[in-house]
Amino acid sequence: MLLDFFKDALLAAVAAIGFGAISRVPARAYIWCGIIAAVGHSIRFLLMCPALHFHIIAATGVASFIIGSLAVFISPYAKTPAEAYLFPSLLPMIPGIYAYKSFGGAAMCMLENSQQAFEYYFYQFAQNGFITVTIILAMVTCATIPIFIFKKRAFTATR
Amino acid sequence: MTSSTTYPNEAVIESDDPLRPGNVSVPSKEVCLFLTNYAVSLLGCGATCMRLERNVNRMAAVFGKKVELTIMPRHVHMTVWHPGSDDFFTSISSVKPAPISFSLNTRLSELSWAVADNSLSLAETRKRFRRIVSSDSENPWLTLLLASCANAAFCGIFGGDAIAMAIVFIATALGFNLKQVLLRKHLDSRIVFFLCAFVSSVIGATDFLFPYGGTPAIAVGTSVLYLVPGIPFLNSFNDLIYHHYICAVVRFIDAMVLTGCLSLGLCLGMRLMHVGMF
Repeated sequence: MLLDFFKDALLAAVAAIGFGAISRVPARAYIWCGIIAAVGHSIRFLLMCPALHFHIIAATGVASFIIGSLAVFISPYAKTPAEAYLFPSLLPMIPGIYAYKSFGGAAMCMLENSQQAFEYYFYQFAQNGFITVTIILAMVTCATIPIFIFKKRAFTATR
Repeated sequence: MTSSTTYPNEAVIESDDPLRPGNVSVPSKEVCLFLTNYAVSLLGCGATCMRLERNVNRMAAVFGKKVELTIMPRHVHMTVWHPGSDDFFTSISSVKPAPISFSLNTRLSELSWAVADNSLSLAETRKRFRRIVSSDSENPWLTLLLASCANAAFCGIFGGDAIAMAIVFIATALGFNLKQVLLRKHLDSRIVFFLCAFVSSVIGATDFLFPYGGTPAIAVGTSVLYLVPGIPFLNSFNDLIYHHYICAVVRFIDAMVLTGCLSLGLCLGMRLMHVGMF
């Protein structure tokens, strides 16, 4: 469990730094992207562990709010807008597998002819699609709330 | 009127510098053309509408102007006027297609604060602006390496074993390199996403061919995740919260179209490799 926890945090940090590079964050922000992503992802990991047993949507919402708050409070120290940390740090929590299964289900609906197969793939498409949209909504809304609460701090980071 | 990047009376501006901040003689036309150019650059590099409005208004206030702006997904429509006078100017400019760059976003935001805090002249502001937009570059090899590591890490997060992570690393490196090459050739981004997803999924599916890996389905599923347009998705929700509904919807549709293209490439790659979807 402890090993999984640290492994998850490390992998989230590597993923955030990589996605930071793709979205061209300033080099000085790489380390912060990694730290914020590791903290956020670890919190989600803890919330979803059998002892606490949060649903993925609730756990993602709580972790996203913490990521958003950290991004806003760290941004003035590295003179970089909060979004620069925020988005790469959130990306490891994007429900890629759900989205992939949803689009896959939609594609298979078109390729399969039998009613039974269609119903199965349509179920895959609808269920995974619904979870994907809800997680993204929870993630983005909860991560953006700190920017709106602490507007002054968020928009004077590059001053 | 469409704004242009050249300023015909540049020499006059720089010689006697009449464009001092707060100086009533600063023509609204000059301020408007600069701010439109600034706005389309900021929007093109992936800034949210909220940041764009704040930065533009901050600079306009320093030059003693008021601004009304309409942010459309592909255009910025701006009117700048001097309060209490009939000096006003309207400009519409197209958003420059550019890769997402938080580095450019940061430097342009810094420029707006430099103007506000140091009362820079318009000529000096333009000079700094040109320097910023012309010097935004990246090391493509470093980005390629970090992106490949990131996607391999993604595979690990979703439960992939070491073999799956290694295959995803290679699939991402080749797919991302293809993306860099094709985007440099200005190929349509939708075609680029389709082709890259196809290449990455074919390589990702090779985990099914070898007996060493225990998580081949995770390898093929995560091999294309580096293409998921996360920032347009996230920006669209940010715009939605800030009441920029048109931009929010269009950014969301853009992201959905790209996700559809990558899914199509993924499906085709999996069909070619005879890999089942679930």
